[in-house]
Amino acid sequence: MNDAIAMSRWALHIPGFDLAELVSGLRPAPAVPPERARDLLGKRGLLATEPATRLALCAVHRALGLEPRERPAGNPDPASAVVASSNFGNARAVASIASTLQRGDEKVSALQAPNASSNVIASTVAIWFRCGAPSLMVCSGATGGLDAAALAALLLRAGRADRVIVVGAEPDDDFASRLNALRPAAGPGRPLRAGSAAVVLERAGDGADGPCLGRVRSYADPAGAVGHARADVLLGPDRLAAPGVRTIDLAHDVGDTFGACGVIQLAVAAAFVAAGEARSVELTCGDEADGWRTAVVS
Amino acid sequence: MTALIASSAVRTCLGGSEATLTRLVRGESQISALHHLRTPTMNVDRAYRIREQGPERSWRASGWLGECVKEALAGARVDPRRERVAAIVGTGLGEMREVERAAVEGRALQPERLHFAEAVREAAPGLEEVITLSNACSASGHALALAQDLVELGDADAVVAAGADSMTTSMLAMIGRVSPASPDRVRPFDVDRQGTLLGDGAAAVVVLPEGGSERPLARLLATGLSCDAHHVTAPHLDGLRRALAGAYERAGRRPADVELVIAHGTGTVLNDPMEAALLAESCGDTGNGPLVTALKGAVGHTSGAAALVNVHAAIGCLRDGVVPPVVGLENPVAEADGLRLVIQRAVRARVRTVQVNAFGFGGVNAVSLLEAAG
Repeated sequence: MNDAIAMSRWALHIPGFDLAELVSGLRPAPAVPPERARDLLGKRGLLATEPATRLALCAVHRALGLEPRERPAGNPDPASAVVASSNFGNARAVASIASTLQRGDEKVSALQAPNASSNVIASTVAIWFRCGAPSLMVCSGATGGLDAAALAALLLRAGRADRVIVVGAEPDDDFASRLNALRPAAGPGRPLRAGSAAVVLERAGDGADGPCLGRVRSYADPAGAVGHARADVLLGPDRLAAPGVRTIDLAHDVGDTFGACGVIQLAVAAAFVAAGEARSVELTCGDEADGWRTAVVS
Repeated sequence: MTALIASSAVRTCLGGSEATLTRLVRGESQISALHHLRTPTMNVDRAYRIREQGPERSWRASGWLGECVKEALAGARVDPRRERVAAIVGTGLGEMREVERAAVEGRALQPERLHFAEAVREAAPGLEEVITLSNACSASGHALALAQDLVELGDADAVVAAGADSMTTSMLAMIGRVSPASPDRVRPFDVDRQGTLLGDGAAAVVVLPEGGSERPLARLLATGLSCDAHHVTAPHLDGLRRALAGAYERAGRRPADVELVIAHGTGTVLNDPMEAALLAESCGDTGNGPLVTALKGAVGHTSGAAALVNVHAAIGCLRDGVVPPVVGLENPVAEADGLRLVIQRAVRARVRTVQVNAFGFGGVNAVSLLEAAG
């Protein structure tokens, strides 16, 4: 089986941030904030969904090129899989349910039940977009976005799916921001930022067209490992900047997107390559505590 | 293709790896008051806890997971400092209990410990690549499937597939909301079942490629995965069917080849009749199909660890030729008519091929097939 992976579709959905700031020639529609997700997704099915779930749905909606409020119908596609990455997606909901219980004077709403389980984003995306192949929810910290891409490639190579939607989403509510500030990698000037991205991966050998995603690699520390790919653009922390390579640390432009970061990098890299602004883009996400993942899009 | 399970370790309310097997066969269970986690309005006051003295401890799931990973790697004689070893940890709730305590008690927490990389790396020096998969109640079945894919495709020399969970008040409350009454125990497939109760637990297996182990515990034939894409909490028969069909197709086996099914059997209103119907249509409902047992009456619903706790029991059945009973089952539901449920006491049986079921919130399904290695 051919191991080459094609990125056939991609989209960013970061309210208040426009990809055109980074890649010239692109004019994507502005990203609606989660409380106005119904403008893009339609009203039905959004009751009691958390902001990160809505952002994930918006990113996938845009990646699939659907019209506003257009929604796939019919039986689930047994060859379409979902791999999602988020760390704080349901943290506020869990904290709020626990606080309600602690007060002891009221019952929690059954509508909140799905939000008690961390895989709510992956399963909601699978239901919404009719994906019947495996649905995986990655919660592995700062490497999560590229962990998700690695698992998506594995699902394709192992013949468990023909198409995988990879989606990353994080919220930036007060509670999540408070948790995020406790991370060793948290620093002034890079607050948690709500946002999402989605990319669709397929086996290149199956005729899928689009930028190629190379193997995702794992490092305890990428210093010394990154840069050998001789990519035109490096997406990652400033400290990895190599001479002659345009380096973009999205934390400056966007903020800290934590579990969504790797997927956002993939979508940006795909946009660069598709627009002809770079032949290849090397991307690196992670932090000192969680470890690092890198990949090349070309 | 197939792979090997070189070792397996568990921690449950019944104890460690051997104690759990011994006590399962005796039909024992270990249920107790919820203790620290109980709140007045949650409609749940019991659980299958791993008991500890004193005030509520922190990072409980990480602790049991570390013990299991260490034991499994030692049992498989795999050293991550010398080989390319990855780990995939399946969990339902991860360490979300610490998030609850941060919210309710104002306790500080380390966000990098909300997933399991640090716990695994501490237990397994040299092991760098750890992925935490929050796939609800079938999480470790998903971890097992992906571990097999990784070794079969040559991406790793060995993979630790693991599962770990401790309870959260938020999940307990949601279970309380959907239970008709506050359950006194879990009664899989019983007409009088009242719902599920959670159990503390962790499990780990080491998966190696064919030829990679001299004395493997079992051959891992295949795991079929699917997502219902139907409902965020309720199961759907079509999704279960796809996972089951996927497992047999990947394994090149037929349901008639299986002598034992270790069912998901949560004791809930929705799961048990649907799972019984699935087994009846796939394995036969005329009393000549495989034996069927379920563990959640003994160890509770160990959520993300449940699939690998079942795999551990399956390995015990392959080794010892004894199948534990479904604790709590007296009168099976009508859908189980013709299924050979193991009731009241363990039965001796020559078991060579086992099917293990795991289904979770969000319609995530994993059906695994194991075979005797010899």
